[in-house]
Amino acid sequence: MPRRVAKHPILGDLEETNEIEFEFEGQKLKAFKGDTIASALIDNGLDIFGFTDSGKPRGFFCAIGKCSSCLVIVNGVPNIRACITLVEDGMKVERQKGKGNPVW
Amino acid sequence: MKYKVCIIGGGIIGTAIAYFLGKMGETSVAVFEKRYLSSGATGRCGGGIRQQWSTEANVRLAMRSVQFFERFKEEVGMDIEYRQGGYLLLSYSEEEAQQFEKNVKMQREQGLEVEILSPKMVKEKYPYINTEGVVLATFCPTDGHANPHKATFGYAKAAEKMGIEIYTHTEVNEIDVENGKVKGIQTSKGYFECDVLVNAAGAWSREVGKMAGVELPTESYRHQIFVTEPLKYFFPFMAISFSKNFYIRQALHGQFIMGQGDKDEKPGINENVTFKFEKEMAKKMTKIFPFLENVRILRHWSGEYNMSPDAQPILGKSNEVENFYYAVGFSGHGFMLAPAVGEAIAEMILLGKPVHSDISYLDKDRFKKGIVQEKNVV
Amino acid sequence: MVKKVQALVIGAGPAGLCGSIAMAESGVEVLVVDEGIKPGGQLPKQTHKFFGHEGFFASIRGFEIGDKLYKRAIDLKVKFKMKTTVSGIYEDGIVLYDRDKEEAYDIKADFILIATGASERFISFKKNYLPGVYGAGAVQTLMNQYRVLPGKDFLIVGAGNIGLIVAYQLLQAGANVKAIVEASDKVGGYLVHANKVKKMGVPILLRHTIVEAIGEDKVRGAVISEVDEKFRPIKGTEKELVVDNICLAVGLQPSVELAAQARAKIEYIPELGGYVPYRDENMKTSVDNVYIAGDIASIEEASTAMIEGYIAGYNIAQKVTGKDLSEKIEKMKIELEEFRRGPFSLKVRRGLKKFGINYPEGGYRTEQQKDDGPAGKLRVKIECPQNIPCNPCETSCPTGAISVGGNINGIPHVNYDKCIGCGVCVMKCPGLAIFLIQEQEKHSIVGIPYEFELPEAQERVLLLNKNGEIVGEGEVEKVVKNNKGKTHIVFLKIPKGLENEVRHFSKIKLEDDEIVCRCEEITKSQIEEAINEGFTDFEELRRYLRISMGPCGGRVCRLQTLSIISMKTGIPISELESGRFRPPSIPISFKAIIRGDEKDEI
Repeated sequence: MPRRVAKHPILGDLEETNEIEFEFEGQKLKAFKGDTIASALIDNGLDIFGFTDSGKPRGFFCAIGKCSSCLVIVNGVPNIRACITLVEDGMKVERQKGKGNPVW
Repeated sequence: MKYKVCIIGGGIIGTAIAYFLGKMGETSVAVFEKRYLSSGATGRCGGGIRQQWSTEANVRLAMRSVQFFERFKEEVGMDIEYRQGGYLLLSYSEEEAQQFEKNVKMQREQGLEVEILSPKMVKEKYPYINTEGVVLATFCPTDGHANPHKATFGYAKAAEKMGIEIYTHTEVNEIDVENGKVKGIQTSKGYFECDVLVNAAGAWSREVGKMAGVELPTESYRHQIFVTEPLKYFFPFMAISFSKNFYIRQALHGQFIMGQGDKDEKPGINENVTFKFEKEMAKKMTKIFPFLENVRILRHWSGEYNMSPDAQPILGKSNEVENFYYAVGFSGHGFMLAPAVGEAIAEMILLGKPVHSDISYLDKDRFKKGIVQEKNVV
Repeated sequence: MVKKVQALVIGAGPAGLCGSIAMAESGVEVLVVDEGIKPGGQLPKQTHKFFGHEGFFASIRGFEIGDKLYKRAIDLKVKFKMKTTVSGIYEDGIVLYDRDKEEAYDIKADFILIATGASERFISFKKNYLPGVYGAGAVQTLMNQYRVLPGKDFLIVGAGNIGLIVAYQLLQAGANVKAIVEASDKVGGYLVHANKVKKMGVPILLRHTIVEAIGEDKVRGAVISEVDEKFRPIKGTEKELVVDNICLAVGLQPSVELAAQARAKIEYIPELGGYVPYRDENMKTSVDNVYIAGDIASIEEASTAMIEGYIAGYNIAQKVTGKDLSEKIEKMKIELEEFRRGPFSLKVRRGLKKFGINYPEGGYRTEQQKDDGPAGKLRVKIECPQNIPCNPCETSCPTGAISVGGNINGIPHVNYDKCIGCGVCVMKCPGLAIFLIQEQEKHSIVGIPYEFELPEAQERVLLLNKNGEIVGEGEVEKVVKNNKGKTHIVFLKIPKGLENEVRHFSKIKLEDDEIVCRCEEITKSQIEEAINEGFTDFEELRRYLRISMGPCGGRVCRLQTLSIISMKTGIPISELESGRFRPPSIPISFKAIIRGDEKDEI
C-alpha cells in the first residue's frame, strides 16, 4: 500500500483491516475494507479515474460526492461517484470515458 | 587577585613567556588577552621560521628558536605542523647578491648551514619557478614553517596545565605604578596585583608602555596577506625576496600563503584589506610562479607589524619602572623568534638575566647609540 | 406509505448534530440524514484542535468532537440515516435517496433543520481539470479519513484557515508542501495557523496565484505568478513548481439548494459567503418550520455552527413540545454574541446586519503582553497576537495565571507570579502558540508543542525560528508526552539568547560522522572536543581546526559552530565573536585579477 499513511502523530498507527481485492481496468488491485473506490485507486497510485468527452483526464476533486469529477463505471454501471462509493470485494471498476454507456 | 607575573598579550610572545616561566617552576603567572588567543599579529602572520638574517643577534635568536621548534611537539605537546622545508631567498641585483653572500658568511660563522644557488641551480631544483632576473639565491634547509595558531595554543594549553591562568577577553585598562614600581593592573575583569609585569602586547605595545609611563619606540603598520585554494602539496619551502618584496609558502594543507610589504602604509592599526594588494600580488607572483595563474585567492586579511626603528625586537627590562619587562617591536618576526625570546625573558625575570641567549643588545636604550638596520625584512 | 417525523435534520455535521441533541434532549423525535459514510460532517477529517472555549470542545480535535456529538445524539435516541442524500424538498415531501440500498423515498417532517454546510469553491486556471487538482477538503478526507495521500509534493492555493490547516495536516501525514499561494496581500486565516506551517519552512507567497497546472495526464507541476492589485496575474513573474498535487483552498460557499427548494428566501450576502437563506436570530428562515444552522447560514467556525445548531434545535423543540426553553436559548445567544465580538467576525456581523440582526463588537483586550517574565524561571510565553475567540489557555491553567482579558476574544496575558511552567496550556492551545522558556546557566530551555513523530531525548536537532529558518543547533532535553491530547511538549536545550527565536526544530540526519564544516570535513565531535580543550572562541576554533577556512568562506558552518560553542559555554550567540568575514567572498583567480586590471572600461 504505497500511499497509505501508516503512521500518524495524531491518528495513530493504521489499524489492521481486512484486505479485499477488486479490479480496475482488468487489473487486480488490493484495498482495505472501508475504502472508497477513490481512496483505493489513489492508494494504488492511480490518479486518473476517467476521461471527459473531449478526452481530458480526470481524477477526483471534492471527495464528498459533490463535484462529479470522479465518475467511474462500477460493475458495468457508469456515473458512479468513486469518492463516496465503498469498494467491495470482487468489484469491477473501469475508467469512464465521457458519458457513460447505457447498461441493460 | 595576585600573581607573581602578569603578562599583557595572548599572542605567541606572551604565551611563550608564560610557558617558559611555568617550565622553570613559576606558575603564579597570568596572561591577559583583550580578545582571544592569537587574535593579533600572531594569528595573521605567514608562519615562516627563518634563520637567514643579516645581523648576528637575529641569527642566534633564530637558531636557538629552531632548536626548540624541532622538539616543540614532544616538549609542549602540540603538533604545530612544523616542517623544515627550507627558505629560498632570491636576489635580483648584484648589490643584493653581494649582501646575501656577506650574510651567508656571517650565518655560517654562527654555525648555520646555508647554500648559495645560481639561477640555473634554482631552476633545476624548482622547475616551477621562473628564475628570470634572479642573480643568486640562498637556501637554508633547516628553515621552515609552522602553524602559528597552534603554536600559541600549544604554549597556552601547556601553561594552563602547569597552573598558569589565561584570561581572554580581558582588556588591561590601567597599569598601577607607584614609586617607580608596578603594583598591579586594572582590567575589564577587575584588579590584579603583580610583582612583575610583562608587555607582550604586539601591535599595542607602545600604548601599553605608555600606561606604565615607559616610552617604547614602536609603530604598528598594516601588512596584508592572503591564501589560495588548496593545491596538492609540492612546494615545501618558503620563497622570499626583499627587493621584489614578497614571501610565499605552501601550507601542509595545500593552500599558498603569500604577502608583501607596502611602503605607503601609515602607522596605526588597520584590519581592512585592499584590492590593490591583490592586483600587485597577482601580477608579480604569476610572473615568478606561473602555476598560480589559475589558482584562486580564497581569503585575504591583514595584521600588524609592530616595527622597531631597526626592525629588530626590543627586549628587556625598563630602567624607569623597575619591574616592567617588555618583548615588543618584532617587526614581523615574532613568531619565529618566540621560543628563544620566551626563554630569555623568563630567565631574566626568574634568574636576573638571560642564560641561553644574549639579548642585552636588544634593549630599548640601544637606539640612543644609533641604528643598525636589519635588512632581511619583507 | 409516507413516513413522518417530528423533526428532520439534514446534515450530520456539528450544526446538525447539536441541533438534533438540543431537540432530543427536550423529547423531540429526530431523524438525521446525511450523505456521508461517517457522521460528523467535516469533523472526522479534522485532526487539529478546535478553537473556542472548552464548553464547546475547544482544544479537542475535530474527529473526536464528531465522535462525542454522535455518541451523545445516539444516547438521546436520535435516529441516523447515513449514505443517504436528501435529493429534494418537494411541495409534497422530502425525498431521501439511500445510495447504499439504492432506494429513494419521501417522508414528511413537522420541522426541518437544514445544516447542509458548504462546498468548496473552485477557481479557473489552465488545465485545472487535471487529476491532481484537488479540493483542500478532499485531500483532508482522503488523508485523514481514508489514510491515503494522493501525492508527495503539494501546492496549496489559498492562505485562509483551511489552506493553512490542510498544509499542516499534509506535513503531519508525511507529504511536502512546496508553497502556499495567496492572492491577497495578507494571510486570511489565523496567524497562529500560519505560524505552524511557516516554522516548518513552508513559504506563504502573498500576492501570488496559480495560473496553470502542468501535465498531460495528471499534474506534474504548477505555474504560479504574482498578481496585481486587481488579482490579475502579472506577466513575466511566472514560476514553475514541481508538484504532483494542487490543493485548492479558495473558500467555501453555502449549500443552499435544499433551503431554496423548501422555499426559504435566499439572498446574496457576500459577507456571509454568497447566497444564503434569510434567517432571524433564532435561525428560522422565511419559512416557519424551516430552520438553518452552520455554514449554510454563514461561513464561519465549527464553534458558532454548534451554537447555532443548539439555538435552532431549542427553538424547534419549544414549538414541538410547547416547553419554555427560552433560558437555554438565551444562554446560547449570549455565547454566540461573545464569539462574534472579535475582528474575525467583522464580516459576519456586517452580513447579519443586512438581515436586521445586530451583534455588538469589542469588549476584549487588544494589547499584547510586553514582558516575558522573570528570566531564569520556567514559564510560558504566549504568542497569540490576534483577537481569536478562544480561551482554553485561561480555563485550563491550574493556577489561574492566564487571562484573555474581557471576553473570549481577548489577547491572553500571563501573570508570571502565578505561572508555574506546568505546560498544561501548551498542550491545550489549539494554535500551538504557547511555548515554555527558561534561561539556564549554560544554555536555555524552550518547550515546544509538537504533533509529529517524537524525537528522542539527547537527540541533536536543528533549531528553527518561526519562519522555518535554521537559527542554530540544539539538543532534545526531554519529551513530555500527552497521549490523550496528542500535543506533546518537546523541551530543547538551546543556545542562550534564542528563547524567543526557537519555535520548531528538525531532526539532524545522522551520518557516520556529522560534518559541520563541509569544506574541511570537520565533524561535530571534533569541534566539541576542541571546545573541551578550551578553544571557546570561533576564531580560535577556526585557527585550531581550520573550520570555515575552506572555499565556502564559512557560510555553511559558521552558525552551526557558534551554536555548538554557545551550547557548551552558555554564552549567547549574540555575545560571541562571530569571527571575521574575510574577502574575497568567492575565490578569485590571479588571472582574473590581472585581466581585470588590464581592462580600462567597466
